[in-house]
Amino acid sequence: MKGPDVTWYLGVAAFMFATGALGVLLRRSPLIVLLSLELMLNGANLALIAFSRLHGGGAGQIFALSVMAVAASEVVVGLGLIVAMARRNLTLDVDKLTWLRG
Amino acid sequence: MSSLVLAASAGNVLTWVVWFGAALACVASGIAVVSFSNPFYSALALIGNLASLAVLYLLLSAEFVAAAQVLVYAGAVMVMFLFVIAYLGGRADAPWAGGPSLHRFAAVGAAVAILVEVLVVLGLKAGGELSHPARISGDFGSPAEIGRLFLTDHLLAFEITSVVLLIAAVGGVVLGSHARRLQAEEAGLE
Amino acid sequence: MTEITTSWICLFSPLVAVIVIALGGNRFSRRAAGVIATGSVALSFAAAVVAFATMLTRAPGNRSHLSTAWTWLSAGNLHFGLSVLVDPLSVFMMLVVSGVGGLIVLYSIGYMHGDDEERRYFAYMAMFVFSMLLLVQGGNLILLLSGWGLVGLSSYLLIGFWHERPAAIAAAKKAFVMNAIGDATFALALFLLIAKTGTLDYGLAFSKAHGLSQTVLILIALGLLGGAVAKSAQLPLHTWLPDAMEGPTPVSALIHAATMVTAGVYLIARTAPIFQLASVVQDTAAALGAVTLVMAGLIALVQTDIKRVIAYSTMSQIGYMFLGVGLGAYASGMFHLLTHAFFKALLFLAAGVVIHALAGEQDIRKMGGLRGLMPKTYAVFLVGALSLAGIPPFSGFFSKDPIIAATLERGGAFGYVMFVLAIGGTFLTGLYTFRLVFRVFHGDRDRFVDETFDTHHGEGPLVMLLPVGVLAIGATLAGWLQVPGGWHGVSSWLQPVAAPILETTNTQEAIASIVSVVLGLAGAGIAWWIYIARRRPAPAAVPAFERKFWFDELYDALFHRPAVTTAKVLYALVEGPLVGGSMAGIAEAVRGLGTGTGRLQTGLVRTYALALAASLAVLAVVFLAVR
Repeated sequence: MKGPDVTWYLGVAAFMFATGALGVLLRRSPLIVLLSLELMLNGANLALIAFSRLHGGGAGQIFALSVMAVAASEVVVGLGLIVAMARRNLTLDVDKLTWLRG
Repeated sequence: MSSLVLAASAGNVLTWVVWFGAALACVASGIAVVSFSNPFYSALALIGNLASLAVLYLLLSAEFVAAAQVLVYAGAVMVMFLFVIAYLGGRADAPWAGGPSLHRFAAVGAAVAILVEVLVVLGLKAGGELSHPARISGDFGSPAEIGRLFLTDHLLAFEITSVVLLIAAVGGVVLGSHARRLQAEEAGLE
Repeated sequence: MTEITTSWICLFSPLVAVIVIALGGNRFSRRAAGVIATGSVALSFAAAVVAFATMLTRAPGNRSHLSTAWTWLSAGNLHFGLSVLVDPLSVFMMLVVSGVGGLIVLYSIGYMHGDDEERRYFAYMAMFVFSMLLLVQGGNLILLLSGWGLVGLSSYLLIGFWHERPAAIAAAKKAFVMNAIGDATFALALFLLIAKTGTLDYGLAFSKAHGLSQTVLILIALGLLGGAVAKSAQLPLHTWLPDAMEGPTPVSALIHAATMVTAGVYLIARTAPIFQLASVVQDTAAALGAVTLVMAGLIALVQTDIKRVIAYSTMSQIGYMFLGVGLGAYASGMFHLLTHAFFKALLFLAAGVVIHALAGEQDIRKMGGLRGLMPKTYAVFLVGALSLAGIPPFSGFFSKDPIIAATLERGGAFGYVMFVLAIGGTFLTGLYTFRLVFRVFHGDRDRFVDETFDTHHGEGPLVMLLPVGVLAIGATLAGWLQVPGGWHGVSSWLQPVAAPILETTNTQEAIASIVSVVLGLAGAGIAWWIYIARRRPAPAAVPAFERKFWFDELYDALFHRPAVTTAKVLYALVEGPLVGGSMAGIAEAVRGLGTGTGRLQTGLVRTYALALAASLAVLAVVFLAVR
């Protein structure tokens, strides 16, 4: 295998995951939370593909493709919710959406 | 003989360079996604991130996934994102607005902790089995191979994925029609 | 097809009908549910007939087969197969249960027509037939016990079928509790048998029983007898049967006359080897039967509900069967079971036709003079009555007299006391039976009859009259299967399974026959004298008979009231403070916990996400440390 070890790819993956997690935890706009979620998912995907390369099996890539499909579904539903919220003139701020309080 | 080694090492260096560029773009655009206050720019940064990820996938011999990443993810999914953002208009959300708080410190702490933990594990393991990737044949990661795997070993995963997509599509339609009906009712009331 | 295959078909056909009707729900019309149930029981009967015919072609010694589908239950060294035993005795019972059962289910289509819950009724009926077949076909005692319990359940469900009537519910509960006492003693007997012999397979258990001590054998036989007495409504566990008449009439005919209540007789015949080893208990069974037959006959004299009269007569006739099998004349007991199934089902169904025509009225004081209005019903009822009273050439004559003859053969003080009780019973039988006939069909027509009898309705639809007709033919002819001094169809058929332990002579048969026919006719004559010649409205009330010998009052004072008092005391002293208090405490604690954790639920999604991320970080450290 030319170029860097799988280790390096995993490092990038970890960084993306942590960055995405930071975004989810910090940002209040649901849109950016969704984007950060995508970032986390892609970090995981990169790790999956790196491991797939390490072991020489195709299962990791299949998993990554499935994750992409799930991410697409999640975006559809998430964006649908955001649009529905916007149409009901709700504030697009996750800290204001606290009706599920116990 | 020496020219062969030279050519091999030249290829190696080239791969390193490409990797470095792609990884840098990846990290930088990732940071950009979470730090832009305008969601529109964040989305654009994510497109860049996805594209540079595709380059990394190519370096890992995952050709089909790389193509799917560009076409489906950076193409279709992100376009939908941009549409929604454009529809909702620019609603800026300053990432650090409101000054530091306990929640913010905890959030940064948790994210950093996760990153550090993974890096520590990688450092401990580096040079071991992680440095000895398996030998792969030429058609590893090719569309034909992925298709074969999907329709043989992973058929169930394939079918479940299709059902998940179908449910998401139905959910999207229901959410959209519900919101429209609500709007119509409000209009009727006024 | 072999008799084994057909036996399995016979067993499971009604079960399939239950499942189909239960799952079908409203998809079937009510009539379709009845047709399915009837068809399944008819298929059972056809299979039983084929099994019978196949067995006839085999040598008498080669007619017993045990077929095991799979090991159904394993516990330690005990293994119970799901098996059917195909031998002359079980085929005999299969024919009775599915044959009479099929006719009665067919009759139900007409009788229950228009009821709101016909489907449920037919599902229960088919379930009863399945349970009863399991009882008689089961290849070991544990399957017999399963069938035993299931018929008890079916009986409970069917007695309480009209669940909007409080009396029906009370009767169902009473039947269930009384039967549960018997089930418990039965189960205890089986536990003892397992402990001592390690098996419940008929053959193995019987052969090992020879090595047991007399005490153990008596205990086992007593337990089995307890089950038989409860199921067959013999003294002292008989009080549920008259109350069970709250159920629909076909149910009374099938369960509380023809089949389930005779299960006790079957049990004693089936476990004959054990009873023979414990002869004290076998004599007890005979004595209980003899006392029951007289006592039930006396009570039947004063009952005014047409179904209750027949119910007490059923108790009395089962008393004869107990007397027969108790004396060891197994074939005679089983033969009486067969003829009784015919004529008693006939009487019940004919009574059902009368009740049906009189808009549900069951009080014989409001009947009378129905002969002109219902000639066909009168004819078949008379056939049933003559058969019940043991008048030749009807079937009761042939089956009852061998039992009476057996008491003579037994001899000694015990035998003669039994003889006197048995012939006393024939007199009572003639009296109460013809009291019923004269009171219902002869004499002046009551005003009530003129008001309610629906002339357009007539005597009921063909689906009701056809089974009654077939049963009338059966009640007339079944007796000729075995003629004293002539041929012995039933005895020789049952010989390989339940060989009698005493053989009656022709002289004894003749004495028994003459005495019982004379006394039966005397009873009928006295009934004629009272109700036709003297036109007495009712016999002088005898408090002991009217109150059914105070058995209900006795049980009320002995068990019911002490139990209620104990329960009240326990509630006040134990349950209230201890159980109730602890429940309230637990509820309070849970509520406090809920309020407390509810506060953690801030509704802030980011807080939840932070909790997730933080626990991920912590867990990663834990995993690293553990490695």
